[in-house]
Amino acid sequence: MTIFENRSPAARFLLAAAACAVTTAIASPLIEYLDLANIVMLFLLTVVLISARLGRGPAVMSAFLSVALFDFFFVPPRLSFTVNDAQYLLTFAVVLIIALITAHLTADLRQQAVSAFTREHRTRALYEMARELTGALTLDSASDIVHRFVKKVMSADIELFVPDEDGELQRIGAPPKKGNRYDIRLVRLAHAQGDYADLDVTPPIAYFPLKVSANTRGVMAVSRADGAVGFLADNHDLLEAVASLAAMVVERLHYVDVANTARVEMASERLRSSILSALSHDIRTPLTAMTGLADSLAVAQPALPVGQRETAEAVRDQAMRLSGLVANLLDMARLNAGHVTLRKEWQPLEEVVGSSIKLLGHSLSGHQLRVELPDDLPMLEFDAVLIERVLCNLLANASKYSVAGSAIEIAGRDAGDSVEVSVRDRGPGIRDVQRTEIFEMFVRGEKESAKPGIGLGLAICRAIVDAHRGRIWAENVGGGGACFTFSLPKGTPPRFELEESTANGSV
Amino acid sequence: MNDIAPAVIIIEDESQIRRFVRAALEDEGCRVHEAGTASEGLEKAGRIGPDLVILDLGLPDRDGVDVIRDLRSWSNVPVIILSARAEEDEKIAALDAGADDYLTKPFGVGELLARTRALLRRKPRSEGLSPNVAFGNVKIDFSRRTIDRDGEQVHLTPIEYRLLTTLVGNTGRVLTHRQLLKEVWGPESIQSNHYLRIYVAHLRRKLEMDPAQPRHILTETGVGYRFQA
Repeated sequence: MTIFENRSPAARFLLAAAACAVTTAIASPLIEYLDLANIVMLFLLTVVLISARLGRGPAVMSAFLSVALFDFFFVPPRLSFTVNDAQYLLTFAVVLIIALITAHLTADLRQQAVSAFTREHRTRALYEMARELTGALTLDSASDIVHRFVKKVMSADIELFVPDEDGELQRIGAPPKKGNRYDIRLVRLAHAQGDYADLDVTPPIAYFPLKVSANTRGVMAVSRADGAVGFLADNHDLLEAVASLAAMVVERLHYVDVANTARVEMASERLRSSILSALSHDIRTPLTAMTGLADSLAVAQPALPVGQRETAEAVRDQAMRLSGLVANLLDMARLNAGHVTLRKEWQPLEEVVGSSIKLLGHSLSGHQLRVELPDDLPMLEFDAVLIERVLCNLLANASKYSVAGSAIEIAGRDAGDSVEVSVRDRGPGIRDVQRTEIFEMFVRGEKESAKPGIGLGLAICRAIVDAHRGRIWAENVGGGGACFTFSLPKGTPPRFELEESTANGSV
Repeated sequence: MNDIAPAVIIIEDESQIRRFVRAALEDEGCRVHEAGTASEGLEKAGRIGPDLVILDLGLPDRDGVDVIRDLRSWSNVPVIILSARAEEDEKIAALDAGADDYLTKPFGVGELLARTRALLRRKPRSEGLSPNVAFGNVKIDFSRRTIDRDGEQVHLTPIEYRLLTTLVGNTGRVLTHRQLLKEVWGPESIQSNHYLRIYVAHLRRKLEMDPAQPRHILTETGVGYRFQA
């Protein structure tokens, strides 16, 4: 605002004294032509100018100095502080009062002008920061922009902290400068409870939560290297405004991030499922042809000689087995990808047990199959296709690992907050050390055994049961044999209203 | 089987699959026509007026569901679709669009022939239900609305009865959950699938020897139900 604005206090007082001296020098030759009353005016003018330019202190000093100089150099007897005419004492008093009041008023005006200017300056800087922030594409650049603003306006430094994926607050940007140590516990405190100033450290640090509507998006720590504290109180509102601007950017960037991640995930999910289905189609087509062609040879009329027919049947069976393995691998790939979409529906367990038995068909016909499902089992919510797969795998294992003619039992049991389904065979059972590891991929009960399989069946079972929030485990039962059990949570079945009347025959 | 050999069109882009389907059906006494694309298949179907269409869902030139809608706009010919196991949704969409049955790849000749026979045996829809149907130890007299199991009358609720009529009326066909809900509860029904499942369970308890291993009211897991006598 003025060229003297930034001078040190001492310089301003010196300047004021010099101005008074110059006034005296200019007025001295004029004493021949001017009345003393007019000389006083020159001094008053000087005081007004000083108060406008140099502030209150120098103005007050110059008021007293002017009166003294006027008395010494102009009021007779000159060059002495003695006053002959008592009326000049009144002149001194009036001049002094006018000078002080003027000094006070002008200094006030000046103060207001200065603070208006500062305010305008800050508002513009704030506006510019807001504009820059809208263009910020990374948290780093946002942090930079905020830092520059705070540095410019209040010579302070800031640090931004935002939660990472695990919700842990992390500092943004390059490591902090030396001597600017924030306390991560206070950062967390501010994040959880609101702004907080830590005055016990040097330099003192204030923490402002980054709040947007109901969310807190992080924390801004503010401190000044020189250890000043006062600026925190003076700029509290401004710092809050800065924090909320920063919060909006963090939130915007967060949603941009969320959208990007979702897009990438969708793309990779699409890719994965299209690869899987292409693979599935490309492998299944020749397998279908192989199975069918071999099968048509096996059943051809007139029948082939026994040897050739058996070969045809063997080709068919092997192709079927290969197809089963491929199905398992593809299923495991799908389940392992972690994005199984369950088509859960409420349904009785009985139905899926029945369809599994039917699906396995003749491979179970060599065993005595017993099904024990209490009539009062509640409906459960599950993906029928997948649970059918679990049951089929367990039943296939049971028949594979037990001798023909032995019993296989399927039982359902209400176990409080879940329903347990178990498949029990009369085979050799499972060795204790293997009871959990057989659910791992590619682990088989009998290593290198002649029994077909690659050890995916149980891993698939576990993946499916896990996806249903159930459990699966294996144990040996008294009387010999293995028992595989899985549980499905009961949940809250939907309401169901049965119609009352019995109708046919009579209607 | 009719006196004249039934005509079957197999629409499938893999020639080796066409080959064995053809061989199996010809052994069964059918006249078989092959088509490698949907458009060729539809053209032949229009010309020949087949008794059965076997349609692969993964054709290169057109969406299988689309082909069925097209076919259904002018023909009631039974359709068996061939699908891979992973194509659950497409299978259901195809059945909803009017396909009668499906075979999951890979399938054996026995399965293929069983489905083919069941559909060829079906009467054209216009002829309606025969008044008497017997399966297992159950006899149904639709004209008198009585059901008899081992000589004893079985009581069904109106919904159970409607469900049974719908299933029996579509013997050999796969009915999706949606189709059954629409048929039994009406097109405006907002009931969910678990209602259907409960009524099916009731029917099985009343009519099947072992409800956990049904022999007539069969579950097509994830798809719907099928009745077989």
